[in-house]
Amino acid sequence: MFTETLLVSIQQPSASQDYMGWIFQVIWILAFIIVWIYGQRIQTTLMLKEIEGSLSKLKAMRDRSRQITISAIKEIGKPNEDPTARIDRLLEHVDIEPVSLDPTGIIRRLEHIIDVREFRFKDEVRQMAPQADETQINNLTNVLEAALALNQIYKIVRHYYLMGKKTLSFYIILQIQMLLPLIMRESEAFANAIKAFTLGQPIGDGAGALVAARLMHGREKRLISKDTIVSEVDIDGRKAYVIKAVGPGGNVGKPGEAIRQILEEKEGRVALIIIIDAAQKLEGERPGEVVEGVGVAIGGPGVDKYKVEEVAAKYRVPLSAILIREGIEDVVSTMRKEIVDGVEEAIARIRRLIRENTKEGDTVIIAGVGNTIGIAQ
Amino acid sequence: MGVEGGEVRRAPIFFIAVILIMLVMSIAAFILAITVYLTQNTVEYMNIILSASAILLSIYLLLQMRRRTLGPSLEPLKVLTVIRCVGCNYESRREFERGDYILKEIGQCPKCNGTLYIHSIFREVKEKEKTY
Repeated sequence: MFTETLLVSIQQPSASQDYMGWIFQVIWILAFIIVWIYGQRIQTTLMLKEIEGSLSKLKAMRDRSRQITISAIKEIGKPNEDPTARIDRLLEHVDIEPVSLDPTGIIRRLEHIIDVREFRFKDEVRQMAPQADETQINNLTNVLEAALALNQIYKIVRHYYLMGKKTLSFYIILQIQMLLPLIMRESEAFANAIKAFTLGQPIGDGAGALVAARLMHGREKRLISKDTIVSEVDIDGRKAYVIKAVGPGGNVGKPGEAIRQILEEKEGRVALIIIIDAAQKLEGERPGEVVEGVGVAIGGPGVDKYKVEEVAAKYRVPLSAILIREGIEDVVSTMRKEIVDGVEEAIARIRRLIRENTKEGDTVIIAGVGNTIGIAQ
Repeated sequence: MGVEGGEVRRAPIFFIAVILIMLVMSIAAFILAITVYLTQNTVEYMNIILSASAILLSIYLLLQMRRRTLGPSLEPLKVLTVIRCVGCNYESRREFERGDYILKEIGQCPKCNGTLYIHSIFREVKEKEKTY
């Protein structure tokens, strides 16, 4: 019918064109009215569609990470019973932050909660994987942590999606839709991390630990605080205490506590503290780029950072930071070549900083911060 | 619930039908405007602009409605292990093997009989050259 009308209009332009013109005019007026009245509703539907697509992707990542975790524990730990139910329970684990109404002593309370959580997770993994050694237990704990993070992200996005769908509130949907690209990048990083953790490959976050490992390689080491070692190294006539977490299992150790102990042991007679860590790069910056600064370059919840700031301020010891820049997707993924190159540059910068800011015979502390998975010492 | 059950609802059929009708009609209007120009040699600017914009709008809406890929974009990574000798400048590279870790000692150097160790483990990422 429509085709016939069109053909007629082509053959007899003057007769049918007015008729067609009127139809199109009406259609356009109707279209404008619909867009005017239902514009936001249409936009909301389109945004919900976009969130739904990302949510399916998040669900696939969450399910896959859960599956990899179960297989890794079965393969490495050789459990006597099926660990699935236990893993599912751990994936729903929640941490409750300490009360901040009275901030006195909050760091000590936060540290206690973090310690308990870490102990609980490792203990659960140890029970699920009786055949795993300490390195594998640490790696499997990291796998579980990444799977937990993906589960939490999925559930939060799903919450906002369903809430938006239920209320049809433009602003609830808008805020999650705006954050979605960042959330997806982070989730993909966690999904890639699962593979790296399962295989025990070094990750981008371990850049600082790799710097320390290079400096202390072949020297004597001793345990200084929980999961943290120190080694005395001679650098251009200065005595350097090099600190890193115990590898090659996935560990971050307690660098803050280690620095505090050394400073207290030396009664503050330390000329310089240098902390090396991976830091998030800005878009446009090169991955593996090395930058310098002052302050305590320790990420995480802030417990270690607080300890170092406290003790350094007490003894008035200068603090230097060396940061190795990397994207959010590189932090928990297998280490990139550029970051390895950045590590070599960071070592050269440490030597230069020591030469320029200290005298021969001085004592310095060098702490390589980060997850030391896949990096021994 | 679609999301909880693992299935994602497709774009509403009603919306797709409306957009398709809009696309067909705008193409027809565009053809008509062109025919008028060919037969009567008069350019109907308003019709051409309106129909062209309607075509673009409907194509954009259809692309938005298109169902997205559901699988996570996890590409297999090529990870390399670099082996070096403590004593000489010997270096070799191979693909990462389970159990490898940095500073692991893995035998003797074929050149000087020194200790071979894993110097680094990394993945290579190919990125486009940036000019800014």
